[in-house]
Amino acid sequence: MGCCYSYFCDQDSSSQNGEPSERTPLVNPVSNSINNHQINCDDYLIRNANSLPKKTDEQSALNRILQETATDVIDIAALDSHNLQQHEYLDRMKQYSLKLQQACAANKLPQKNNKSILQDIPQPEKVLMTAPLSSSDISLISSIVNKATTAISDIKIEHKEELVASFQIP
Amino acid sequence: MVEEIKKNILQMIQKVPGVYSVLITDRDGVQVLKVNTDKAPEIPMRPGFLSTFALAVDQGGKLGLGKTKTLICSYPQYLIVQMNKLPLVVTFIANNSCNVGHILALEKQIEPTLSVLSLAVGETYM
Repeated sequence: MGCCYSYFCDQDSSSQNGEPSERTPLVNPVSNSINNHQINCDDYLIRNANSLPKKTDEQSALNRILQETATDVIDIAALDSHNLQQHEYLDRMKQYSLKLQQACAANKLPQKNNKSILQDIPQPEKVLMTAPLSSSDISLISSIVNKATTAISDIKIEHKEELVASFQIP
Repeated sequence: MVEEIKKNILQMIQKVPGVYSVLITDRDGVQVLKVNTDKAPEIPMRPGFLSTFALAVDQGGKLGLGKTKTLICSYPQYLIVQMNKLPLVVTFIANNSCNVGHILALEKQIEPTLSVLSLAVGETYM
């Protein structure tokens, strides 16, 4: 049992953020040990009333557990929305607008995001408004391109010399 | 310059049909920047409503799923998308039939503005 116990403890400490996993024990070993400690301490207190430091330790440990539980538990009833007063709200808004103005004056704010599809054409409307190509030009271009294509496809490599030259090494 | 930022954000939201307004607030719902279209409703802009987001985010973090990034609420008339950019909170108020994916896609576009806004405003109360 002791072995298992320490194994779980190790797992817990190695797990990130201390979030519970399938290996996390339902009964927290820390709180267990504190409970044991509490019983011992109580016995001790009965016998010796001068043990003040131990009592404060125990109290702080209990407070810590209480604090942790309070932060981990979602207690809907205890939630207070802390609504701001009207004047607080207005003051804060004024302060924000002032800060914003200052930031703007200092030119800290980003410029307009100029991302567009036609990024390399600054004024696409001018390009689009120009007169289209005449049909004769288009036919000329296409005929020349066709000729070029046929010319390129006709290119052939003629074999004239031996590709592998043999060196006669003495 | 502030007007220019507002204009940019307005152009951004006009690309998504159905978005009424964008509010950039702090966690208490105090407005830092507001950009409205003509049809913007007043009711979802109350600080009391906007500040509930910070509360929900704080409590939602305890569920073990990590930090809450976005909260999407659908009401009979409106669709409210709130983004966790703490110390700032970005709230989109839209028509209920608006495309949520398009609103979420605005996050990247609005982020450069937010980073500077949080620097400018962040030291004050947050």
